[in-house]
Amino acid sequence: MTDAIVLKDIRKVFGRLEVLHGVTLRAAKGEVVSILGASGSGKSTLLRCANRLETPDAGEVRLGDLVVPAVKADRRTVDLLRQRTAMVFQAFNLWSHRTILENVMEAPVHVQRRPRGEVREEARALLDRVGILDKADSYPAQLSGGQQQRAAIARALATRPEVMLFDEPTSALDPELVGEVLRVMRDLAAEGRTMLVVTHEMGFARDVSNRVVYLHQGQVEEQGPPDQLFTRPESARLRQFLGLAEQ
Amino acid sequence: MEFTPLSFSAGGWGPDMVRALGVTILLSMSGMALGCLIGILGSACQLSGRWVPDRLSRGYVALMRGVPDLLVIYLFYFGSSQVLTALGQLMGADGFVGVPLFLIGAAALGVVSGAYLTEVFRGAVQAVPRGEVEAAVAYGMTAAARLRRVTLPLAVRHALPGLGNVWQLVLKESALISVIGLVELMRQAQIGAGSTRKAFSFFLAAGALYLLVAWASGRGFRIAERRALRGMARGGLGGEQAT
Amino acid sequence: MIDTAFLWETLLRLLPGLPLTLQLAAISLLIGALLAFALAGMRLSGLRLLDGAAQAYILVFRGTPLLVQIYLIYYGAAQFPALRDSMLWPFLREAWWCAVLALSLNTGAYGAEIVRGGLMAVPGGQIEAAQACGMGRWLMFRRVLLPQALVRMLPAYGNEIVLMIKATALASTITLMEITGLAAKAISESYRPVEVFLAAAALYLCLTLGAGRLVRLAEMRLLHGQGNTGGTHS
Repeated sequence: MTDAIVLKDIRKVFGRLEVLHGVTLRAAKGEVVSILGASGSGKSTLLRCANRLETPDAGEVRLGDLVVPAVKADRRTVDLLRQRTAMVFQAFNLWSHRTILENVMEAPVHVQRRPRGEVREEARALLDRVGILDKADSYPAQLSGGQQQRAAIARALATRPEVMLFDEPTSALDPELVGEVLRVMRDLAAEGRTMLVVTHEMGFARDVSNRVVYLHQGQVEEQGPPDQLFTRPESARLRQFLGLAEQ
Repeated sequence: MEFTPLSFSAGGWGPDMVRALGVTILLSMSGMALGCLIGILGSACQLSGRWVPDRLSRGYVALMRGVPDLLVIYLFYFGSSQVLTALGQLMGADGFVGVPLFLIGAAALGVVSGAYLTEVFRGAVQAVPRGEVEAAVAYGMTAAARLRRVTLPLAVRHALPGLGNVWQLVLKESALISVIGLVELMRQAQIGAGSTRKAFSFFLAAGALYLLVAWASGRGFRIAERRALRGMARGGLGGEQAT
Repeated sequence: MIDTAFLWETLLRLLPGLPLTLQLAAISLLIGALLAFALAGMRLSGLRLLDGAAQAYILVFRGTPLLVQIYLIYYGAAQFPALRDSMLWPFLREAWWCAVLALSLNTGAYGAEIVRGGLMAVPGGQIEAAQACGMGRWLMFRRVLLPQALVRMLPAYGNEIVLMIKATALASTITLMEITGLAAKAISESYRPVEVFLAAAALYLCLTLGAGRLVRLAEMRLLHGQGNTGGTHS
């Protein structure tokens, strides 16, 4: 199994606080990795190092053949890293001055420089796939949270990423809207996408991931297949996190 | 009370007043244009994060905030003729050299409005939702592309109300340019008042014309705001959930 | 390049204008504030006629240049024989009274919107609580609504105070020798516009910055204990 992405020995310091103490995370091609942890565990920071929205203080990110070191990574390499990954944000972050269709087409046309006609067709197909084709010409503010997040997923898919990064994709949604987004994500997993997902949705982590990583205070406390971690967690902290009684 | 100030019959003052109104509008537009340039520069200085430009810009804004516009106009009027006369003498010219009054007026209006516009533009850029800029970063856009496709379009939408306010301000401040002798609306009204001894009528007419332009511009700006925000704002700009 | 001795000398020449500037600003603001409350009351009265009249007044005085308003009163009054023969004439003939009148009417219009904004910004729950414990309307206004509204008005009114101080400069166009009037005279006599500007600017900055500081002090004193009323205004 080839590794689609490797975050190696990532260290991150915010001022005086060391948030990540040399974390290594890999995902093979087609693997769905869920990252769990309490707030402050560093899980979002780790994910954001993957596309360099945060710059690690030490370590490196490897995406296939692309190596992005912590220090002295040049502009071009970072841009390539970002073009070959795609992120779905907790706050959706759709561009509010563009229609849904324009949002999905933006990166492929203006960053990847693909022909507009081809991109438009693919965009419409993607919107159809996530179930909001009828909203293509609407603006984000006119959609519900669940619809906006599905649009954001379509936007991510449009760039044909090698790895998809999900930063708490359902945390900002009203409970009844969570389901529709998880459904789409399950679909993506089923078709073999490589996904790194920071989430609180235990159901998703348990049913859909190939591997679960539990982070505690900037270190990997435990990781393994979901049935193992959820039914027989080894670490006491993980047990506490999952709300299980002492075993 | 007769409305001769605005009569268009032969010997009536209507044509002169309307022409002067045109000067007022042109003067205000020129001042506003200069003000926008200064505002862009000023806000860029403050947004740059560099200490010197930031402090200079803030100092400029603080100065304009605390000093009457009339003083600035006097500075430009008396100062410009001084500078030019000195330059002229250097180059061998004789006597008094004057700068066209229109230019002085536009420059003064520009410098005054530039301070307000600096604040408007700065606030507009800072109001752009950070998440949307972050998404652009995440999708690989270069800094230049981000500016062009996300930051500036969104900032413009935020800037429109402030722009409208400053325009109304410039329009009214343009009346002060009358003190240096330029024949815009205010001065024309004074001329008419002095000639006919009907000061009230003339200044009333001038006031009405100012009001008309203010009202029309206000509507124009509101239409522009509505179009810029089409589909977007329901109590805010940026990703929000519809209920 | 800049002659500091001359600067100082000019400053001294301009100082006599300070009292007049302060006078004009203070009196106009006071009268204007009373007018502002009256207008805000009209707008919030619920009576269409009063609301409309107030709105029209505010529209006119905010939509036309202050200079027009000053000239209308100072030069315009003479157009009417009725006014010339009336009791008001001794006042309307004087530049000082005309300036105060114009400035008051002007700041009254801007103040009205600030007052109205402040009153409307008080959370409805405060009013309901007052009503629920049986407070009469006037008592509630005095002890609940007004105190809370005043704090919310302060930032915007502070700004208005600064604007009024600057606006007094326009009185120089009708012969009043406040700071700007003296400055114009000084420039035409000395041909040193930059130095005079700097001296006058320094005076105005002291005034406006000082006023700003006083307002902020007042805000802090009034906010003491009022929790998160915050310094927000439109």
